[in-house]
Amino acid sequence: MSTAMNFSSKSFTPRPPDKGAFPLDHFGECSAFKERFMECLRHSGYESAACRQSAMAYLECRMDRQLMANEPLEKLGFKDLINEKSEEKPEKS
Amino acid sequence: MVGLSYAAVPLYRLYCQATGLGGTAGTGGGAERIERMEPVRDRRIRVTFNADTHASIQWNFKPQQSEIWVVPGETALAFYKAKNPTDKPIIGISTYNVVPFEAGQYFNKIQCFCFEEQRLNPQEEVDMPVFFYIDPEFAEDPKMAKVDLITLSYTFFEAKEGQKLPLPGYQ
Repeated sequence: MSTAMNFSSKSFTPRPPDKGAFPLDHFGECSAFKERFMECLRHSGYESAACRQSAMAYLECRMDRQLMANEPLEKLGFKDLINEKSEEKPEKS
Repeated sequence: MVGLSYAAVPLYRLYCQATGLGGTAGTGGGAERIERMEPVRDRRIRVTFNADTHASIQWNFKPQQSEIWVVPGETALAFYKAKNPTDKPIIGISTYNVVPFEAGQYFNKIQCFCFEEQRLNPQEEVDMPVFFYIDPEFAEDPKMAKVDLITLSYTFFEAKEGQKLPLPGYQ
């Protein structure tokens, strides 16, 4: 987004999310992944950077269960974690 | 504030219809930007979370974390939770607000639960994720130099059964 010089405008315009809305996880299929993520947050002092593996795992869970459109993880900002993963394991399981 | 938020839903609808921005999921610009952006590690920002419900909706709605520390240029995940404690299904729809207002232009939601009807059955409780990032340009804006706290507020309203909300794009 370009930085407009809004001298007088103090109003906020809500914008739609880029990829729309998450379907609700009515059956709690990814609750375990969410719990792991929340646990990580609690232990790390709510540091987002420390819990990106867990965040990625949660989103992967959603994608696996059609609770999120499939998207390459690099396009969700996880390219550094993917590179790490592929260095550790020659075969992606 | 409540009045402003309440007006935001129809205002957003008008805005989207005029600019045609709704439903442009996966546009090259958005996804490429996310793939290319680099975290700005020396600008830690505290994001706090608010949850409101309009008087008409009986959901219990709250954030699952009061705050999260992020940096611009790095995607982040956060959760809200909603429960319908009644014995009737309730359909809710939410809008959001970002404070300070000027930081809102840098706050990008990749995916969340807003602007679309969400139905909770009696006694049902669900997690509601927000996946977002703060644009790296935030760190280059001199007006944002003193901003180290951003508050994200969601407000849920009740959507009446059968009410047609022509929110574009999201099915």
